[in-house]
Amino acid sequence: MKLTTLTAALALAGTTALAAEKTLDIGVSDALTGGAAVYGLPQANAVKMAAEEINAAGGIKVGDDTYMLNVIAYDDKANPTEASNSVRKLIDRDGVKYILGFCCSGATGAVASFIENEDAVMLVGNAAERSITTREIPNLVRTRPPADYTGAAAGTFVAQKGHKKVAVLGALDIGFYASYVDAFEKELEKAGGEIVTRESFGLKDRDMTPQLTKIRELGPDAILVVGYVEPAAFIYRQAVELGIDVPRFGFTSGSEEQFLRVATSEQMEGVWDLRPTELTLLSASDNGIAYHANYSEKYGIAPSPSSPYAYDQTYALKDAIEAAGTVDDTEAVAAALRELPVPDEVVMQYLPVDGKMFDVNGQAYTSNGAFQWQGGNWVFVQDLPSDAAAYSAFLSTID
Amino acid sequence: MRWNGKTLLWALALVGFILLPQLITVKYYLHLSILALCWVIAAQGQNLIQGYTGYVSIVQAGFMGIGAYSTALMGLHYDLPVWLTILLAPCVTAVFAVLTGYPSLRVKGHYFAVVTLAFNLVIFIVLMNWHDLTQGEAGITGIPKPGGKDSWLNWRDRGTYYYFVLSIAILMTGLAALIVRSRIGQTLIAIRQNEDLVGAIGIAAWKYKLFAFVTSAMYAGLAGAIYAHYQSFINPEIFGVAQSLDAILAVIIGGSGTIAGPVIGAFFVVFLPEYLRFADSFRLILYGLVLVLATIFMPRGIVGVAGDLWAKVKGKPS
Repeated sequence: MKLTTLTAALALAGTTALAAEKTLDIGVSDALTGGAAVYGLPQANAVKMAAEEINAAGGIKVGDDTYMLNVIAYDDKANPTEASNSVRKLIDRDGVKYILGFCCSGATGAVASFIENEDAVMLVGNAAERSITTREIPNLVRTRPPADYTGAAAGTFVAQKGHKKVAVLGALDIGFYASYVDAFEKELEKAGGEIVTRESFGLKDRDMTPQLTKIRELGPDAILVVGYVEPAAFIYRQAVELGIDVPRFGFTSGSEEQFLRVATSEQMEGVWDLRPTELTLLSASDNGIAYHANYSEKYGIAPSPSSPYAYDQTYALKDAIEAAGTVDDTEAVAAALRELPVPDEVVMQYLPVDGKMFDVNGQAYTSNGAFQWQGGNWVFVQDLPSDAAAYSAFLSTID
Repeated sequence: MRWNGKTLLWALALVGFILLPQLITVKYYLHLSILALCWVIAAQGQNLIQGYTGYVSIVQAGFMGIGAYSTALMGLHYDLPVWLTILLAPCVTAVFAVLTGYPSLRVKGHYFAVVTLAFNLVIFIVLMNWHDLTQGEAGITGIPKPGGKDSWLNWRDRGTYYYFVLSIAILMTGLAALIVRSRIGQTLIAIRQNEDLVGAIGIAAWKYKLFAFVTSAMYAGLAGAIYAHYQSFINPEIFGVAQSLDAILAVIIGGSGTIAGPVIGAFFVVFLPEYLRFADSFRLILYGLVLVLATIFMPRGIVGVAGDLWAKVKGKPS
């Protein structure tokens, strides 16, 4: 009897030990270097941090097995070919089935074009190009809402502020920035306003005084700046230097630290950022405050506002795997993602559609918010009108 | 056919390429090999204008873009069969090459390089900003594979596509060899060595230069078309100046003015950055360093170094 008990105990211990040893590799493909690294690197860091938290809390439970997460991250430089290469490498060489990250639309679009044929699940973060979730790809979900969803809300907000003549200065050769402005213009025009000029800049441009000089001559009521953090910060700075004294609205999702590398707090004072209700300390939930503190401690720098999209991907994946009861059947996990309620651990404030985090298109929605730079910080001022269900229905109609 | 050392090497390389999918256990390397073969085609074209004619063109990736977008757009808008659009893509590229080559070949040396660089920038800007046609930075997705749904070959299988690209790369390499050995090719080499002398003996050098430039562009257009149908996605990012520099480097590293050089160089520029991924953020610095050192210490490329070594082994002067 004793021997049987001992054998059973040893077997149980052995099983437990074996279960504890199981590792699930998850991949990250993101811009870790180059201009887009301001979005990609914080996303990769966020996935690693979430994986460590999940491991510390006991891993992912699948039946009798427990999986510890191991993150393999590759740099795609926000380049489509590089992204294809890094994802192919993750799937073919490293045997990864779950790929997270994806900050930038071009690179994400390239991977989305073939991921449907792979035995893998793709979780997209910050990439905001609408077409990524209009293709009915069953094994792809995205945590960030498309840019035009936010652009429409921003247009309504600016119109409500009483601005009639808005000058746009943006990285308009990038599709999702252009779609943000299109949606913005539509709502602005409904209220009797208009965009008086659309000036463009390249993502590597740093001197935007020619465009700003032209804008100054047009005498707009307000300026709308859409683009990456660094060029946007230069625009805000140069607008002050040129004496342009009108409200400045933007769509950038940059952190305080990222803006202060280029502009002073005084030059930033009063600037609005009209974007999804992403992370800022003053608007964050308890999860957001904990995320900010843990990230800052771990990496020695505050997280970028958009980085939790990737953090939340990791927890969504964990819950989906546990709900599907498998790590091998990617179809089951992808289906479970579509049925998933918003996990408790997420940082962003998601607006579920039919009670689910991701809609039928694999798209998640956050609320949109108006943030204003006040005394060196982005301060959450108010929610922007955001109808996730209506937008989801609209998204389903797009081919 | 006399089986000298060079022929034997080509035969061995051919056998190696044919057996490669059977030898590769990780499909990722097959993917890289397909990309490298696309670059072999583009680099063979680059070699005609750069290696044999002596004119460094910095627009090869731009022409790849024209080929890639023309095959995709003809398929999507006119519902033309993939095979036909792949064949038409180099012809469309040739039209643009004639329009750009005629004025740009009036200048020589660095000026020609700068003019072609400007063309690449223009192509990139048009692809990025003509949103209604090219869909801008978001790119074109869902570009179909050859063969269609009823094909007896599985074109989604990378092995199938590998053999398809390999066949085209062999054909285009063979065609490049034929051009080089022809009277036209010999005239191109003469232009590289002394263009004034070529003119002095009554040869209209500009016609030959234009031929080399347009043929080079057609190679690029074909490579771009094959790339587009393989990846099923294109956007302007992949057809920028940086990629044109890769085509130039492929020729220099492999061996400028040789047929084997672009083959070796194309694999070099595709595989090396991937092998350097272990270096994380130092990867591109290391890549740049390797390229600079290779250019300084191997000005005749890998083929040149191999030739010297072979000559030493055989005891002949190199």
